[in-house]
Amino acid sequence: MRGKRIGVFVCHCGLNIAGSVDVVKVIEQISNYPGVTHAEHYIYMCSDPGQEIVRKAIREKNLDGVVMSNCSPSLHEHTFRNLVTSEGLNPYHCEIANIREQCSWPHLADKETATKKAVAITKTVIEKVRRNLALTPMVVPLTKKVLIIGAGIAGMQAAMDIADGGYEVVLVEKTPTIGGHATQLSRTFPTLENITDLVVPVMEKVAAHPNIRLHVYSEVEEISGYVGNFQVSLRQKTSFVDREKCNYCGLCLGSCPVTVPAEFERGLFSRGAIYLPFLQAVPPRPVIDRQSCLHLNGGCCRACQDVCPVQAIDFQQSDTIVEEKVGAIIVATGYELYPGDGTDEYASDADVIDGLQFERLLASSSSTNGEINRPSDGKVPRQVVFIQCVGSRDPEHGVAYCSRVCCMSTAKQAMLYKKAVPDGQAYVFYMDIRSDAKGYEEFVQRVMDEEKVLYLRGKVSRVFRDGEYLKVWGVDTLAGKDVEISADLVVLATAIVPNPGAKDLARKLNIISDSYGFITEAHIKLRPMETLTAGIYLAGVAQWPRDLPDTISSASGAASKILSLFSRKELLHAPTVAVVDAEVCNGCGQCVAVCAYKAIELDARSKVALVNEAVCEGCGACAVTCPSKAVQHKNWTPGQLFEIINVAIDEYV
Amino acid sequence: MSSSAILPVGDGGILEAVRVFLGSLWQKKLIDVLLVPLELPSGGNVVPAIVSDPSKLKMANPLAPIMPLNSARQVSAITRASPSAERLGVVLRPCEMRALIELVKLKQVSLENLLLIGIDCLGTYSAGDYGRFAQEVKSPASDFLRKFQEGKEDPLLRKACQICEYPVPMNADLVIGLLGTDLNNSILLKAGTVAGERIIGELGLKKSDAENREAAITKMVSEKAERRERLFAQVRKDVRGLEKLMATLATCVNCHNCKTACPLCYCQECFFDSSVFQFEAEKYLGWAQRRGALRMPTDTLLFHLTRLNHMVISCVGCGLCTEACPNNIPVADIFRLVGDKVQKDFEYVPGKSLEEELPLTTFREEELPNIGT
Repeated sequence: MRGKRIGVFVCHCGLNIAGSVDVVKVIEQISNYPGVTHAEHYIYMCSDPGQEIVRKAIREKNLDGVVMSNCSPSLHEHTFRNLVTSEGLNPYHCEIANIREQCSWPHLADKETATKKAVAITKTVIEKVRRNLALTPMVVPLTKKVLIIGAGIAGMQAAMDIADGGYEVVLVEKTPTIGGHATQLSRTFPTLENITDLVVPVMEKVAAHPNIRLHVYSEVEEISGYVGNFQVSLRQKTSFVDREKCNYCGLCLGSCPVTVPAEFERGLFSRGAIYLPFLQAVPPRPVIDRQSCLHLNGGCCRACQDVCPVQAIDFQQSDTIVEEKVGAIIVATGYELYPGDGTDEYASDADVIDGLQFERLLASSSSTNGEINRPSDGKVPRQVVFIQCVGSRDPEHGVAYCSRVCCMSTAKQAMLYKKAVPDGQAYVFYMDIRSDAKGYEEFVQRVMDEEKVLYLRGKVSRVFRDGEYLKVWGVDTLAGKDVEISADLVVLATAIVPNPGAKDLARKLNIISDSYGFITEAHIKLRPMETLTAGIYLAGVAQWPRDLPDTISSASGAASKILSLFSRKELLHAPTVAVVDAEVCNGCGQCVAVCAYKAIELDARSKVALVNEAVCEGCGACAVTCPSKAVQHKNWTPGQLFEIINVAIDEYV
Repeated sequence: MSSSAILPVGDGGILEAVRVFLGSLWQKKLIDVLLVPLELPSGGNVVPAIVSDPSKLKMANPLAPIMPLNSARQVSAITRASPSAERLGVVLRPCEMRALIELVKLKQVSLENLLLIGIDCLGTYSAGDYGRFAQEVKSPASDFLRKFQEGKEDPLLRKACQICEYPVPMNADLVIGLLGTDLNNSILLKAGTVAGERIIGELGLKKSDAENREAAITKMVSEKAERRERLFAQVRKDVRGLEKLMATLATCVNCHNCKTACPLCYCQECFFDSSVFQFEAEKYLGWAQRRGALRMPTDTLLFHLTRLNHMVISCVGCGLCTEACPNNIPVADIFRLVGDKVQKDFEYVPGKSLEEELPLTTFREEELPNIGT
């Protein structure tokens, strides 16, 4: 144990550390500590001259252990481990003692406390380095193929970026068509471009791309493996329409006697049991909805089968499972609107609709010569009330967060309404206007000033039917008075919530989702496109509410992360993982239960825990849980921890 | 699953009735072997034994008020490596049954091919006390039952038994019921599972119910719960705080007998028997220097705290740790007191259900809302 010749290097970090830690005193107290062969301080150890000090000492004093007392290991651990490697040492003989974030910063005003603690921290790391073993990273093969879950605008963008980069993409979509919610929208803000004109060409490109394999009407059934080597099973839901035979003629669509509310139209219009979500769906192949088809529910109807000229309808079809091997995954599962009709205070009435329904009214107005017709009686609404923050920023009735896109989409909807019904009046009840991107604030001002949309700062307390009209009771807090409006149509800017299936998917993927179901990123500022599980990335609203340009940016960001991952020949995996002593293991499986990465399993025959080192992230949960310490973390053994604790206690007792 | 039957008590008394019932399991080919406490030929004590020859049942005595070992551990020894190939019946007291369920969750027991026979527990004596009684009276078991029938609880019962709120076995296929029956005429056989119910049918026993059973159980449990609260108050006073805890553990000799007696301490190699706590001489001397005095051995407190940390959530309160302590340290009292708090915080009753997952290794989004309050 005595063997190692350890060098200790204390960094001032300008005044960041030296301002509250007496670095000279630290050196004095460390110099005589057992095993310390060399101790030195410098103003910036990470600078070139600083690094030269460390190199020189390693060479001249023949050091084989290095303790760097400076900032957090997340900042410069790799710097100094690379340095000692280039001097011929194993990188795991170098450790960081964090005397900045964990010492000088929290004890700014107390030099004595900070100095004493810096000495204690440094000594604990010396004890760790003394017992560290040389380790070599593992080489892990890399399958250069990507699974993208969700083929909305985020999934499609990421798929194109990666496919254009020359790698294969497996694009999985739960619904019968790619395109996502963007296909339901009318026009963009702030430029009022027709979204169909923008999105449909992208869908066509994705479908035609030689590197993209589409699996629509499919869901992820099971995922195992780890970065570079994920094994995925996809369940292809049966559509009862033969993929090979169907010639997309569409005769079946008109033959179905069933009518059910169309999901794409948010229930404003209906569809048959055999249906195409919308005209430009990709692929343009109809599917039969198992729940509403008469034949599949015991009836004798075969209307679609009878009209199909190519015998593509196959009621015997069943789900198929497709296996794929991929190296990386993007989660782009998108959003839904807050379930229910917003909250209680808004009447459940055919003419109280959500924003997406209003988008459908706007989009379908092209087929009604630009007229907007309200759902109940087809009348052109003369008075429209838009209510913002329905469910958003309302922890008691909905969600606490701001849904980010509603201020702008409401402004746009009010603008488009005024363009369609120039003599109509639009009102917007709002809490604050959030218009924080390029051209957004100017757009809102135009809606107010040029379109004369009346913005009322305040909440709506009640909406109720009063004969032909909907009475809206609200308050204008700027004028300080109650407002009553007789409206023809009320549009709710309902909160955006994550896709309801996202939580389940997160569990399958072993990634974290927050209490709402949004997928949690690895670091909210520094690593927004990654999850904490290596090889799994995030794009679009699956992470947090976003508008189109932000969604596309995040999707391209995730794609570029993967392109950079794939630029390597193979992957290296940190060797600081868990190991099991089979002689001591009781086979109780507690380690299996606590492993967040599914990196441990019980061997059925020997009843001993086995670690899959390539999956293990070295978090140490298993090592803590194991009562007999049969599982240990490499270079964090109980022996090391006890020495560290002993030394820390000695400093203070 | 509520069917129950009568086991008639004849001239041979309750013990004979139990032996006849156990023997009938062989006659009807319902089991091949049986783990049951046997009286030693020399008299004076009972030990758990695997019986393959039903004629040995004349020595079987699951009623003897003594539990030298928690037999859950013996079931683990038999089935841990591989499940029993033969149909193995096990006769267990409630605390043994609960420990068994915990060991199943810890994968140290396989229930395959096992028939779980529980028996109402009226309490047990320390091995020393029981040995003494055995010399004084011919049959300490009948003496004990007589006292019970007279409605007196013996103050000499082990403390763990005096405060035990689970006198009735949970999760058994069959329960031999003593509470709420007229022990002069009959005892109860109650099915707890479908398998148990089938056996009652196959044995051709007269179905019946003990009407007074629930009331008798409730009465016993409430008396014990009251005694338990009184004990907790005392133990809290005695061991709360590091200094009092250290004083309580002062006579610990690091023999680790408590660990050996504990039915749940399942490690094959205890970490505290490894070399991690052996330091170089200068370490000890350095610590002594710095503090003026160093208590030896140095890992006593850590040993007990670690055992608490690992085991207290599953502690069934059998009290055998206290029995095993050569210096009468009230280990079980501490485990019961801490266990009561921890188990309540996690809404966990050890041994209650195989479906309830071990809380410390189960992720729950919301738990421990009272921490820090």
